Amino acid sequence: MTGLAMLLKEFCTWCSNSFFGHGVRDSVWLFPSIEIIHLVGLGVLGGTVLIINMRLLGIRFRDEAVSDLARELQPWMKGSLIIMLISGFLLFASEAEKLYGNWAFRAKMISLALAILFTFTYYRKVTLSEEDKLTPLGNWTAALVSFVLWTGVGLAGRAIGYV
Amino acid sequence: MGLRETIWAEPLVESLHVLTLTLFLGFSVFLDLRLLGVTMQRKRASEVLAQFNPWLFAGFAIMIITGVFLFCGDPVSFYATSFFKIKMILLVLACINVLVFNRTVGRRIADWDLAAKTPTAAKVAAVLSLVLWIAIIGAGRAIAYVLPPP
Repeated sequence: MTGLAMLLKEFCTWCSNSFFGHGVRDSVWLFPSIEIIHLVGLGVLGGTVLIINMRLLGIRFRDEAVSDLARELQPWMKGSLIIMLISGFLLFASEAEKLYGNWAFRAKMISLALAILFTFTYYRKVTLSEEDKLTPLGNWTAALVSFVLWTGVGLAGRAIGYV
Repeated sequence: MGLRETIWAEPLVESLHVLTLTLFLGFSVFLDLRLLGVTMQRKRASEVLAQFNPWLFAGFAIMIITGVFLFCGDPVSFYATSFFKIKMILLVLACINVLVFNRTVGRRIADWDLAAKTPTAAKVAAVLSLVLWIAIIGAGRAIAYVLPPP
């Protein structure tokens, strides 16, 4: 086992044995309740991404500047992302040792890291640009790459339960 | 038959059902938040409604179609769970909420399009919509616990 894999496995064991890992696992209601919060977060986060992407592609809100819409929706995007990360972490902690070996979970974490990285670099730069600095190619790249990465997170997330 | 006998159909349809939440729930939430005056206040309420509407319909259609598919995979067991019945009742209530909004305060939307405060009736409709859809998600999730995937 490589150093990183060992570190990750140890982290999973620690999460699983922590008070929150135990707490969520031992409660009948906690896991489903957190799952519902995670899903509502999915709706809001996905909604903001879709609305901004549709604007980038010129499908919706064409009369408004991309940056105006993005600024307006940004707090909702960040807020829902934080809610998803916290609720997701709690769900993970309750079955961390099992998830360590789950390929769908690994795929989800890799897509998630890429999606967050893309969102706060290129995507952020494009969506906050002045209107005259936007190019169709840049808009399409931002919209399509973010859509593919976030969809990857969602699909891999769905797959976790089936693996 | 069909859905029950293939390995991939059920997870695929279910994934589509869950991921369409981003379109349907996401757009509903932002419409409700606009009605509550929490976000996009500078945009006309009617403009937000008009921009969202086709996609809300599309999202709703995908939800219903995939939902019916999932139901048809095992109708007897679905119907036997109380959470399924609760979900259907909540769904009907959510639809009634939309119809009532469209026939009352929504019909006069031009009068309060840019008003600093949206009418109380519109806010009530928005809160009802948020509560009902979140409850529908909860009931939907609960079905999966009573009825684990095959």
